Amino acid sequence: MGMDSASIQFVAFGLAAAILSNFSRSRAWRSAVLMVASLVFLGLLAHNPIVFLPLAGFLLLGYGALVLLQRGWSKSAVWSVLAVLFVYIWLKKYTFLPSGIFIYSPYFTLGLSYILFRVLHLLIETGDNREKYRVGPGSYLLYTLNFTTFVSGPIQRYDEFARDQFADQPIALGPRTIGLQLERIVRGFFKVNVLAMLLDMLRVDALAQLHQPLPVSLKMFAAARVAVLYPLFLYANFSGYIDMVIAIARLMRVRLPENFDRPFSAASFLDFWNRWHITLSVWLKTYVYNPLLVALMRRISSLAIQPFLGAFCFFVTFFLVGLWHGRTSEFLIFGVLQGGGVSANKLWQIELARALGRKGYKALAQNPFYIAFGRGLTFTWFAFTLFWFWASWTQIHTVFAALPMLAWLGAWLAIWLAATAFLALWELLRAGLLSIKTVDGPVFTSRYARVVYASALGLIAVVITVLLNQPAPEIVYKAF
Amino acid sequence: MSESNLADPAHAKEAKLPARDWVLLPLIGLLTVGVLAGSASLVAKRGFSGSTSVGEDCMVYKDTLSGGGGVPNSVCWEKVTEGGWVQYRFNSSGYRSDTEFGPKLPGVFRILIIGSSMDAGARVPIEEAFATRLPEEISQRTGQRTEAYNLALAGDGAHMPFVVRRFDYALATKPDLILWALTPWDLAHIAPSPPLNRSNSHLTKPLSWKGMRDHPVKALEYGVERLQGHFDHTDAQITYMLQHFLYKSQSQCIASYLRQADNENGYLKSDPSAQWKTDLGEFSDYDAAIEQRVRSAHVPLVITLAPLRAQAAMISMGTWPPGYDPYKLDDELRAIVVGDGGTYIDILPEFRSIANPEQHYLPIDGHPDGEGHRILAGMLAAKLTGGAVPALSATRPTQTSAMQGSR
Repeated sequence: MGMDSASIQFVAFGLAAAILSNFSRSRAWRSAVLMVASLVFLGLLAHNPIVFLPLAGFLLLGYGALVLLQRGWSKSAVWSVLAVLFVYIWLKKYTFLPSGIFIYSPYFTLGLSYILFRVLHLLIETGDNREKYRVGPGSYLLYTLNFTTFVSGPIQRYDEFARDQFADQPIALGPRTIGLQLERIVRGFFKVNVLAMLLDMLRVDALAQLHQPLPVSLKMFAAARVAVLYPLFLYANFSGYIDMVIAIARLMRVRLPENFDRPFSAASFLDFWNRWHITLSVWLKTYVYNPLLVALMRRISSLAIQPFLGAFCFFVTFFLVGLWHGRTSEFLIFGVLQGGGVSANKLWQIELARALGRKGYKALAQNPFYIAFGRGLTFTWFAFTLFWFWASWTQIHTVFAALPMLAWLGAWLAIWLAATAFLALWELLRAGLLSIKTVDGPVFTSRYARVVYASALGLIAVVITVLLNQPAPEIVYKAF
Repeated sequence: MSESNLADPAHAKEAKLPARDWVLLPLIGLLTVGVLAGSASLVAKRGFSGSTSVGEDCMVYKDTLSGGGGVPNSVCWEKVTEGGWVQYRFNSSGYRSDTEFGPKLPGVFRILIIGSSMDAGARVPIEEAFATRLPEEISQRTGQRTEAYNLALAGDGAHMPFVVRRFDYALATKPDLILWALTPWDLAHIAPSPPLNRSNSHLTKPLSWKGMRDHPVKALEYGVERLQGHFDHTDAQITYMLQHFLYKSQSQCIASYLRQADNENGYLKSDPSAQWKTDLGEFSDYDAAIEQRVRSAHVPLVITLAPLRAQAAMISMGTWPPGYDPYKLDDELRAIVVGDGGTYIDILPEFRSIANPEQHYLPIDGHPDGEGHRILAGMLAAKLTGGAVPALSATRPTQTSAMQGSR
């Protein structure tokens, strides 16, 4: 039925749930609607209840561990986290586990990764004695099975969820907010169903051209398109879906955290991960980077080494980010490239600050050309690492074998320069457009302009969807 | 330009929307939709208009025996929505050719081409059709003076029973070789369709001013119908324009084609449906009868399969979804033709070495363009002179190797 994608059915379902939820402001009513909607949502994803048993077991394990922690068994925190992690790895069939221990009858794993983050967050926070959450079974299920965040996140903290969902006085929802959310749903729908679809179509065509009898110059152009189009596609696909779920949740009077903040404007890879899949990187920074850095700094007191500890912790954190995405060795390399990129970026900053001094480095970091080239390089590096994200080893081999090494180097250099110029122009254009203001703010973000975007994008999206008459594109991040 | 919902003040009362906005905002929305649809319609009209006349206007559907033919010595013009103007000239025998069919000159190798619209060069000028290019290609390769008579027809005459009935006429022209380039369309339309209905009787007759005055209700109905017709036509043009651009993509061309009905794309399936098997069975019967006739007339018949657009794209990409095989029909036809003692040439594998062959077809109409016909002519000439037809081969290899083809 396409409920796990940015389909018209999903939008209709979300809007229906939002309308029902607003029949009453009482927390009981809103929670009941969210619970029923989430269960119906699950029921529409798989019709056989048996397939939900492993997921139910996983949730039960998480809740059991949480109850123990809530009752003061704080010593069980580490074991609880390890047990939940192990069951997750086992259910996701990570290839480093012996295959004999896996369940081979089909079962439901959609959304499991995102549930894992929520469950671990509850266990760590409760076990840490920092924020002892009192979470009942109903609240636990609402938090973990919330249909707006079930398929691909964003990963919301429990306190943020509870603050809005269980508030006696729910957050305001007036015509302005409703209008903004409807515009965001249309924009998200357009991003996934038109923009991402077209970008992927062009990428697949370019990929096919790499293996066709074409001159090297045309193959280099095809290679460049393959590399450049995937990050753009992924952004349109993932951020479009996130736009839709954030808007639907807001219409249900719950504010979800943002997952993207114009990632391709990032001037460094470190900054990129502050803007891309924000909730994932924040989660890992909170529960991996910070504790690891604190632990290492306690053990290593050498002042000369301490700056490098941050780089090491970044590597570990973003290696885990990469590893989280998949069960195969390709994702291991993806993790190494993410971690390597972020830690190299950190080391570059440290060395540059040493060489130029604080003031010199600060001045350089504000230089528009330095920023533009950094932005181009960040995009290029991310595009390069994504080969280990979307392709198998066989595909990677055939793609890279399609061109001589020198031609690939030429293609990467061309991508860097083109990305530098294009993204700089984009930033200039954006700043220019946003500088056109009235007393109410920038003209291009006014409600009048938003109605124009929404109407145009909505019309295009509907026409293209009807015309192609194909299932809504898959949301890439639902696979993780 | 999205605004984070987390920036929302939780319980702050939202500023009231000015009263004028309740009217203004929907109006802006409607205006945007109108302007966008209007501009798309203008662009579609400029770039994707078709002619009211088509090549088939020069066809007569004189009897159920032959399926009809061209009006002798007639000229028609056609502009399909996604192509340029094309002239269709029919000779005195009613076939699309600039030459009259007459006695064979000494030393000239005569190829007779039979088939449907693709063989007739539909949607391209006759000079660009593979049937016109083929003799030149063969002459260049062998030095043999070659001419081609094109007995292929579009329209009803393209249906296989009618194509088969033209073989008697074909043999009467004393050819040295008959070439039948099939397409999957021919197999899907193996049974004759009812004659085309070209009258516009479904439309209400135009009303005069007097008629409108006397019958206001009818006048209103007429007006609504005209308006609806206009919008349908505009919709169709915009749809055509968008599909044209979307289907230019190799992956989208394949994806959209594979979503069509079995009678359109069933030949691409590894396990074809019962209907396709029946159609192939019927073809087998036709082929057996034809092979017998040409054998007794001592005229070699070469059959080949020219791919449709998506099929060519799949072969070129080298990968296709599970459950599909673009070579399947080729294999089936080869088995039938060779089994009946005939000659079959495989040109499908040659599309593997052509980058984006789907670019050489009209994206929606599906017929090859001029470049597509040039490629086909080159492939056919290479196969015909490469051993498939001993009379055209310098080295004269065995017929078996040609029949087996290569991938």
